[in-house]
Amino acid sequence: MPLDTSAYSLALLRVDGRRWNELRRIHAQIRTQAAADGSSYLEMGHTKVMCVVTGPSEPGPKRGGMTGGVGGGGGERSSTADVSVSVVIAGFSSVDRKRRGRGDKRTLELQSTISSALAASLHTHLHPNSTIAISLHVLSQDGSLLAALINAATLACIDAGIPMTDYVVACTAGSTSTYAANDEGADPLLDMNHQEEQELPSLTVATLGSSDRVAVLVCESRVQVSRLEGMLAVGVDGCKQVREILDRVVREKGRRMIQEGTIEKGMSLDDMDID
Amino acid sequence: MASTQHVLLSPAELAYLHSSLSQTPPIRPDGRTATQFRPLVAETGILPGTNGSARICFADGTEAIVGVKAEVEATGRQEEEGDEEGEGGSGNGNGNGSDWVEMSVEIPGVRDDDSGTAFLAAMLSEAVVADGGLVGRLRINGRFHWKLYLDILLISPPLSYPLPLLSLTTHLALLATRLPRLKSEGDEDPFFDDDWAAATYLYPRGEKRTRRPPVTLLVMAVGKNIIFDPSKEELAVADVTLAVSVGEESKPDSEKQKRGRRLKLVAVRTVDPPSRLTPPGVPNAVNAAYGAGGRQKQTGPRPVEPEAVEGVWRAPRGGAKPVVMAALVQKTLEAGGVADEVLDALDGVDLG
Amino acid sequence: MPITILAPKPVRSTHSKPATHIRNPSSSSIDSDDAPGGANLASPGPGNPDIMDFISSTAATRRTDVDIVTPGETITDDPQWMRGHGTYTSQPTSSSDTLPAIISSVAGTLTRTNKLLSVRPLRARYTPEVGDLVVGRIVEVQAKRWRVDVGATQLASLPLSAINLPGGILRKRTETDELQIRSFFAEGDLLVAEVQQLYQDGGAGLHTRSLKYGKLRNGVFVAVAGMGGGGGVVRSRRQVWTLDAANGGGQVDVILGVNGYVWISKHVETPETANTTTGITNLEESVSATMYSSQNDQIGVETMREIARLRGVVTALVENGLRVDEDMVMRGYHEAVEMALLTGDADDIYLGGEKGEQLAAALMAV
Repeated sequence: MPLDTSAYSLALLRVDGRRWNELRRIHAQIRTQAAADGSSYLEMGHTKVMCVVTGPSEPGPKRGGMTGGVGGGGGERSSTADVSVSVVIAGFSSVDRKRRGRGDKRTLELQSTISSALAASLHTHLHPNSTIAISLHVLSQDGSLLAALINAATLACIDAGIPMTDYVVACTAGSTSTYAANDEGADPLLDMNHQEEQELPSLTVATLGSSDRVAVLVCESRVQVSRLEGMLAVGVDGCKQVREILDRVVREKGRRMIQEGTIEKGMSLDDMDID
Repeated sequence: MASTQHVLLSPAELAYLHSSLSQTPPIRPDGRTATQFRPLVAETGILPGTNGSARICFADGTEAIVGVKAEVEATGRQEEEGDEEGEGGSGNGNGNGSDWVEMSVEIPGVRDDDSGTAFLAAMLSEAVVADGGLVGRLRINGRFHWKLYLDILLISPPLSYPLPLLSLTTHLALLATRLPRLKSEGDEDPFFDDDWAAATYLYPRGEKRTRRPPVTLLVMAVGKNIIFDPSKEELAVADVTLAVSVGEESKPDSEKQKRGRRLKLVAVRTVDPPSRLTPPGVPNAVNAAYGAGGRQKQTGPRPVEPEAVEGVWRAPRGGAKPVVMAALVQKTLEAGGVADEVLDALDGVDLG
Repeated sequence: MPITILAPKPVRSTHSKPATHIRNPSSSSIDSDDAPGGANLASPGPGNPDIMDFISSTAATRRTDVDIVTPGETITDDPQWMRGHGTYTSQPTSSSDTLPAIISSVAGTLTRTNKLLSVRPLRARYTPEVGDLVVGRIVEVQAKRWRVDVGATQLASLPLSAINLPGGILRKRTETDELQIRSFFAEGDLLVAEVQQLYQDGGAGLHTRSLKYGKLRNGVFVAVAGMGGGGGVVRSRRQVWTLDAANGGGQVDVILGVNGYVWISKHVETPETANTTTGITNLEESVSATMYSSQNDQIGVETMREIARLRGVVTALVENGLRVDEDMVMRGYHEAVEMALLTGDADDIYLGGEKGEQLAAALMAV
């Protein structure tokens, strides 16, 4: 049992020493790969994820196709950019080595969820007829995988300079007792690790920045409806905290770039008088 | 035969590169000498959940991560015949070693069963297993052995032929791999020491060092020049490209050891250079857009194979002379040469 | 030592635990103990005290940290401002009477031109503007135009009607030209052109209707990655120039495309620079003779070496985050030549890694 019930009710500490509303250690970096348009590396506890973004760019000429056709005659020109996501879960990411093929259903579902989550925020109408390719690598898994992937993808898109409405931040929330126990006084929990995810009901929620607008909600375990709202509220609050952390990382990097002279200083927000 | 990604360069650029690399000494686009490698960043021990891990970034931004995991597996019984995955056979309990090492290569944007990827995986695993001693060290006791899983991830999109990057990263990861210390005895069910600090290195270090994992280098020839660590532009104009796998031979003779390691050739594969796919340049004589008139009629039938004209690019045809191949291999393996330096440098990486 | 293996650079990480305090680099006098994150437990809330430190200190530094804006951050709600690139307006909710605010959509620096507010991202692909001089590579040949990769989000178009046809500028375009379109530019060819117009979707339309534009040969190509906010090629007065190379290299042309594609080659005589006594009509003919040639001229070893040295200078500038323009490249080149003289080996043209950093340091010190 991840929550040693006797100890939990005494000290209200989880197995890793956290309280019910504490996030795990988050470590994030952007611009980890100079050659890519945008890149990021994110750790949420022991879940480690890398992301590389290419684009927006125009998909290459069709091989063996109608290159001689009149422009746009062959394919359709879409009015928005395409967000294509590929997730590679390394064989060494979990405790038991497990090789996952590309067509794995779980992976496909992750890809599709992340793609629609980001497409909701990215201003794809500004780049018609192009593709944004997001490539995610999972190096180590310890719960909250979908949340970490969404956060890493957001950071990498910001690094690539793709315009978006706001950060898409995600985190997980759960409940202290299982569905079967039917415990009325169960507390919600924030940021589940692998052990907790396996034993207790949990959900992943992603919001658009610090607002309460939910972009993604995935719950694959059974839980009473009465507990759902509490978990959701805790999850949304956790997302706000994650956004602050990610925002700080981006500002640090930007500040350092200005210091190093890589980019020029802009004007400051205070200096907004029209003269 | 593996081929690389098609690099888009104009015939004029290709002709310039080829003539620049044919000079003595060759003038490489970034100014390196023929045997100089690009600086790279290497670190190990980045994944605490694995038995060994390494990450290497080249200067052009390509990056690879390799993780090694080991799991205990039961050895097939000796008397079993037939298709037990090649295990069994002789009575020493050492199954077919190549099944004890499993390698998978993931390249972004490419399917799992793509021929290029499968070929890469095969080349890398063959080199690792060719060192016969590895299989012996994976044996725990008569009934069990370690099965090694090497997962190779290429993080960046494959801009240039990824083989040398993946091979160097695999080499480092194997060097850093440790196996838990065995506490059981004989043929009983194995159990191990929980203390990771007591774990032993798969390739023993220091005094007890007998062997090292092999490393595969990419070497190419243009005219009479032999060039190491080619970038993708240089590969596009290569006459011959070889992937040379180099291992180390241990000598029981201590005298030989004092003189340094002896390198042995593990494998040589030719790599189909992308130069074959490049469009040929059009010499001015037959260029329809050249000349003030621009539209003279062709007087006779155009020759099918225009002869080589100075300054005009032509894709290399035919194979390489055996003399050239032998020279490439010899240059790689010579004592104090490139392979030596590379192995030395990798040795010096701090195993975290 | 033919191979150098470097240790990874230590990362200044930002952890969410209080163990590593947030230091505000812009005001180095502030000690970590002074940071408002110390023991600010005054604000109530279910949050973890560490996170609260974070949030309060972020808010406190926000006023001082005004250089960067991030997506979703409100820049202003003053209605007199107009919004430019990198921003969007929020829809005012019907219930409240808040005015539409201008909100940033990328992470970058704020710029203001009169009443126009825009945000320049920290890094983005090249965005074409009319009048830019760009170096591009043909990726597709279509019926009456070419598609050119200029490193932007969209491929640029070069219509057949926008190039100089050999045989005179005023020659009429015929069907034969359309059939022989590949004889002008084929896939993979490099050319230098100017952006003539921008299409609705942001794609660029190019033209080479000048004697100084056209197909490129006799040299090498370098791509400078990471344009946008800065670092990389900047728009300046002179993007194309010729220099006299040292060590007997002769004359070398350098073309800095604004899109970050750079071309360095042996000087090709164009009629503008050639000292001819031909008349105007003959001028066009002599131009067109070599315009679409794919054949390189004979290039000497010294020239090749200097071209490689220049390429190394450009790469070193980029790797060390300096801007690339005529001034920096010339200074870097002279510096590189001197460095080579000091080591006593004129053949030593490698400028990667340490030597590149040395070069950059020398340039920044001046």
